[in-house]
Amino acid sequence: MNINKVMHKLDDYFDLSKKKQKEKRDKLLKIIGKLEEKKVELKAEMILESEKDDTSEAFYDLDKELKVISKLLKKAKQNNAPEENE
Amino acid sequence: MFKKIIVPLIFLFFFWFIIANEDAKTIIAGIAIFLIGMHYMENGFKLFSGGALETALERFTSTTPKAIGTGFLATAVVQSSSLVSVIVISFLSAELIGLTQAVGIVFGSNIGTTATAWLISSFGLKIKIAQYALPMLIFGVVMQFSKQGSYKGFGSILIGLGFIFLGIAYMKEGFETLKNGMDLAEYAMQGYLGVFIYILFGAIATVVIQSSSATMAIIITALATGQIDYINALSLAIGANVGTTVTAVIGALASNRNGKRLAVAHFIFNIVTGLIAVVFIYQLKDLVDLLAPMFSISETDNAMKLALFHTIFNVVGVLVVSPFIKQLVRYLKTLFHVEVEARGKAKYLTDEVMELPATALAALRKETIHLYDKSLEAIVHAMNLHRSAIFSDTEINEVVERSVALIEIDIDKIYQQDIKNLYSEIIHYSSISQTYMGLEGNNKIHELKLTARTIIEMVKDVRELQKNLNLYADCNNNFMIDTYNEMRAQLIIVLRKIQEIREYEGDEEDILTKIEVQKEKVNDNEVMMNQKIDAMIRENEINPTMASSLINDVGFAHSICKKFLRSAATLWVKEEEIKQLGDEYEY
Repeated sequence: MNINKVMHKLDDYFDLSKKKQKEKRDKLLKIIGKLEEKKVELKAEMILESEKDDTSEAFYDLDKELKVISKLLKKAKQNNAPEENE
Repeated sequence: MFKKIIVPLIFLFFFWFIIANEDAKTIIAGIAIFLIGMHYMENGFKLFSGGALETALERFTSTTPKAIGTGFLATAVVQSSSLVSVIVISFLSAELIGLTQAVGIVFGSNIGTTATAWLISSFGLKIKIAQYALPMLIFGVVMQFSKQGSYKGFGSILIGLGFIFLGIAYMKEGFETLKNGMDLAEYAMQGYLGVFIYILFGAIATVVIQSSSATMAIIITALATGQIDYINALSLAIGANVGTTVTAVIGALASNRNGKRLAVAHFIFNIVTGLIAVVFIYQLKDLVDLLAPMFSISETDNAMKLALFHTIFNVVGVLVVSPFIKQLVRYLKTLFHVEVEARGKAKYLTDEVMELPATALAALRKETIHLYDKSLEAIVHAMNLHRSAIFSDTEINEVVERSVALIEIDIDKIYQQDIKNLYSEIIHYSSISQTYMGLEGNNKIHELKLTARTIIEMVKDVRELQKNLNLYADCNNNFMIDTYNEMRAQLIIVLRKIQEIREYEGDEEDILTKIEVQKEKVNDNEVMMNQKIDAMIRENEINPTMASSLINDVGFAHSICKKFLRSAATLWVKEEEIKQLGDEYEY
């Protein structure tokens, strides 16, 4: 075994990137969970609001928020995808 | 004259002394190797801890006992009070900790530094450490080939320990052979005259070597080989403590006001501790004899008794001085007054802060927020608005309607004098700090640099907007006045939302959601306003010159709003995983 291989093995042993990747994945899963929860809540609120007045400013705000949450959720899932495939 | 003749003469004499005196050569070589070891240890811990040391020093210092404990542990582990001091000064400069906490850490650090004496008197003298030194050096050097920072750091620590052990072995050998030709113990002095003379020797040695740990190593090895008398060794240890304050004061001369204040605290502490130790030296000696059996130290083991004495008198010093820490801090604050904040000068960026990645990042973030606040002030004034009104509970339309008076502000001058200078400092210090950082830190700094650029772009945008805003402010066309008021209202909405975000203490997902929702609304508003302008053109409510001004200015106003929101996402969403979900994440 040459010195490079020894160094590589030692580097692997001390490598913190795997730990960091796991932390990142856990964080993303937590974020996805929170965003999904928020999306469900918003949908329910929108149904209630639409029954009252679906042209109101409150409905417009909820609609905007739902669109943003859906976008963030999509991106969070995309960012989590490479790790899921590993 | 001094540099040209005296210094070379001193060097020549020193050279002759080393060549002519074999034993002195071995001892001095041991000191030199020991100092190299300390240097490697310090640098190794900087790399190895990967910010853990800084995190500990920042987080676990909320009360004075905690600060003392953290200072003690950190210094005992890294074996370097100077490294801990550097971190503390940079934390103070970046306002991550207060002066009280910093003084507490320095007090604790004084106890922690006595760990070196324990290390030398126990491992250093009891076992043949030179045998362990060489494998440590070999493995340490091998580890230096690694690309991993923490691994390299561990290698440096091993090299440091190896050199320290080797240095002690050389010193010990030097003193042992010296004893065959000359017995320094013959010069032992009893009584208080001896105490004072040996304190002076200890202090001078520490000032010359610039390391109290190295002085302690010399004292312990000399004591263990019987070259000096026990009571004289105790005096030398007190002298080393006094001498280290001179080193700290010299080091602080080139430092900022925080460094100087801490050096004064250190000086006061060590002088008080030294005085107590001198007055009660014989009582402390008896106390050591009394406590020694509890630490399994034999009656004849003077080296370990010296280590115990060193710890005891520093602990006594902390016990005596720490009840007065509030008064001390109050006094320190009267020294080295805060210079009046110069225009366009950075508040948090100094060379000391830049040396540590964690503090550099925190300070750069704070400075970018400082730039943001300065720019916000200039922008709202250019829009004839006051911050007090913007951030009040008054209805937005009312704020806009009331803010009709023109605010005399030369935005070009403010940009050149304040904002551009501050921006230049951020860029300058960012570039310095990037040399000390890994990839992740570099990305974060890059992100802050781009945010600073976005902020100054807003100021440039408002320069154009201000000209037309003031031009049409008192024209007869109400459509023009209303449209400019709408732009001002939009800015207030965005600034209020960002203020709400700054004060928000909930999840960061919510912060990003608020920012992104606001961005969507700004986009919608821009489309709506452009449609209105088209309608005004068709209805001949504004002339072509007015129309072109409005179309440009709506662009500028909305660009400013979006840039404010983009900056807010970088400055107030801290978690990288959340920040990366944002639209503007292009860095």
